[in-house]
Amino acid sequence: MVDAQKDVPFQSAQVESLVVMKIVKHCSSTFPTTATGSLVGMDSNGVLEITNAFPFPTVDVSTTDGHQSDASSLAAAAPRAKANIAYQSEMIRHLKEVNVDANNVGWYTSATMGNFINLSFIENQYHYQRDNDKTVALVHDVSRSSQGALSLRAFRLSAEFMAAYKEGKFTTESLQKSKLTFRDIIVEVPVIVHNSHLLTSFLHQIPAPPDSAEIPLPASLDDIRRDQAKLPAHPSFDTLDLSIDPFLEKTCDLLLDSIESHYSDLNNHQYYQRQLTREQFKITQWQTKRKAENAARLAAKQQPLPEDEWQRLFKLPQEPSRLEGMLNARQVEQYSKQVDGFTATITSKMFAVRGNLLPE
Amino acid sequence: MAVEQEHFVHLARPLAPTALGFAAGSAPLTVNIQPQAVFSVIDHAVRRDTRDTQSTRVIGALVGTRSEDGSEVEVRSTFAIPHTENEDQVEVDVEYQKNMLALTLKASPRETLLGWYTTSHELNSFSALIQNFFASPETGTFPHPAVHLTISTEPGAGIETKTYISAPVAVSPDRAAESCLFIEVPHKLLFTDAERAALGTSAAAAESESRSAPVFSDIESLAQSLESVSDLLDRVSGFVGEVLDEERDGSHALGQYLMNALSLAPKVSSTQIEADFNNHIQDGYAKRPASASPRPRSSAATRRAATRRSEGAGGAAAAAAPEGGKRGGRGGGRGGGQQREPGSRGEWRVDARQKKPKKEK
Repeated sequence: MVDAQKDVPFQSAQVESLVVMKIVKHCSSTFPTTATGSLVGMDSNGVLEITNAFPFPTVDVSTTDGHQSDASSLAAAAPRAKANIAYQSEMIRHLKEVNVDANNVGWYTSATMGNFINLSFIENQYHYQRDNDKTVALVHDVSRSSQGALSLRAFRLSAEFMAAYKEGKFTTESLQKSKLTFRDIIVEVPVIVHNSHLLTSFLHQIPAPPDSAEIPLPASLDDIRRDQAKLPAHPSFDTLDLSIDPFLEKTCDLLLDSIESHYSDLNNHQYYQRQLTREQFKITQWQTKRKAENAARLAAKQQPLPEDEWQRLFKLPQEPSRLEGMLNARQVEQYSKQVDGFTATITSKMFAVRGNLLPE
Repeated sequence: MAVEQEHFVHLARPLAPTALGFAAGSAPLTVNIQPQAVFSVIDHAVRRDTRDTQSTRVIGALVGTRSEDGSEVEVRSTFAIPHTENEDQVEVDVEYQKNMLALTLKASPRETLLGWYTTSHELNSFSALIQNFFASPETGTFPHPAVHLTISTEPGAGIETKTYISAPVAVSPDRAAESCLFIEVPHKLLFTDAERAALGTSAAAAESESRSAPVFSDIESLAQSLESVSDLLDRVSGFVGEVLDEERDGSHALGQYLMNALSLAPKVSSTQIEADFNNHIQDGYAKRPASASPRPRSSAATRRAATRRSEGAGGAAAAAAPEGGKRGGRGGGRGGGQQREPGSRGEWRVDARQKKPKKEK
């Protein structure tokens, strides 16, 4: 535990409401295309304060004549694109002039049903974390937020994974040695939403409090309909929604996708395995042949031929990187947790409904 | 959800000097403000520089979209502009405004400059000067009117928002630059559904002492919602009880409304409910072990093989994992749709075996 604390440069990410709103707006306006942007703030006493955010410029899809997926992948790669690094530093320079914290503390991205764990995510976060250890990736899940509860999570890469990624080697051997599993790739940081004093008083004004303590009773039904009661934003009643199937279906689809890609990954690996055994078989064949030859030469009092020539003659196939598979596993875990959390709420809701409709 | 201000009679709108053929100038104008715009104005107000300037207000630009006929504008974001102000002169960093606008528009090309904001309700000749700058053809929003948003940030008072547009008015041509006629226009704060959830979290933070709140998990927010629903029900039944006890006057309208609401309870036969309930609850149960069982496995190879096996188990009650098999069997009827081609399960097992020798190499 002590080690873990020393390992992580900050314990939690404190996000200003302004940042939350900006991210939500940007992500939902570009949905379903991925949206990315940069975060600024500073860290103090083990808390990473994220105080402002700005979106990265998007490539105009109409000019590049691409598909939606192209726009998505371009946006996903935006945080490490050269032009955007310049844009980011320019923007931070401007923000500094109006007293905004002028340190980059990471980046944000949008996701759909938690499908954010991929190579692009890892590369982006590596790009940021390599230069500055105190950076974080905020992930806003658009489709889960629209179900009622805000889904905003902060992630960073673990130190072990950073080291492994730096070497760029993800072979079975190196993974066994470093004991790196899919669990250790990213670390989640708790997110806390924070308001300034001024904002707190503003939020207390929506919805506006009634003018007097005693509200006159409505005269007719139309009065009530015309002037609907404005419910406070928190706690929201959207979470009481009873729709189950769309969510489970979508998650199952995504889960199957993941398994599909895992399967192709596995096929690649098996192909490699077969190649390897074939080559190894050839090598042993060659070696025994050479040995027999040498024995014959020795009997004939001739110079033996070198026995390590096989290294030149045969080339062992390169082991495919296991990183993809690990990420896949992490993604499956993410989906599983999601379903777990969802079914927990849905089960309680179901029992509540039954209890209500079927009196004992 | 829109937080509407008080009802507004919109009489006339000042006519800007319109170009020939531009006739839309007299239609009423509505300003919709998105919450993040207000949030960032407030953030700017908090971060204002109090060291070397006398000014108590800060200014910035409004960026957003305008409907095609120009009758409705939506303020989507803002950026701050450094300025200094004292008794007889005002200085606005025009260069900064230009650069920042270019940067902002680069990220969101569909938005345009709409106007400017300040953090006090006072309208003076400096306001007119800045307003004319923002409404001018070269640097501003011409031929559309520039919107001026004021948000009061005085301590101890409520935070109010007002929006204005302007018309040029002056007694003599040389004073035209520093005077204009501000006309208040209606505006509303507009929240989209996506922002509701975010606003809920912000509101939760606003209610706590430390002005901060963690992002709740699904089950926590469900608990909170249920608590507040039961609070509301208590309040209603309390009110009804008081009316019945003749402690306070009843209202026919409210009674009618409640009767209508109560009559919405569906009339379904209990067997039907039982069947529906079981169907859906099994869906939930079937998926849960199916997706939960891969997690406990630690070794990469066995885990990956297990993923596929238990996924099959969720669908077709294969006794791969004891728990997954037992529960998955109940949900088999429906879960079967999720299963992949029938032969594939056999292959998966082979995978698991093939993977083991590989690991030992």
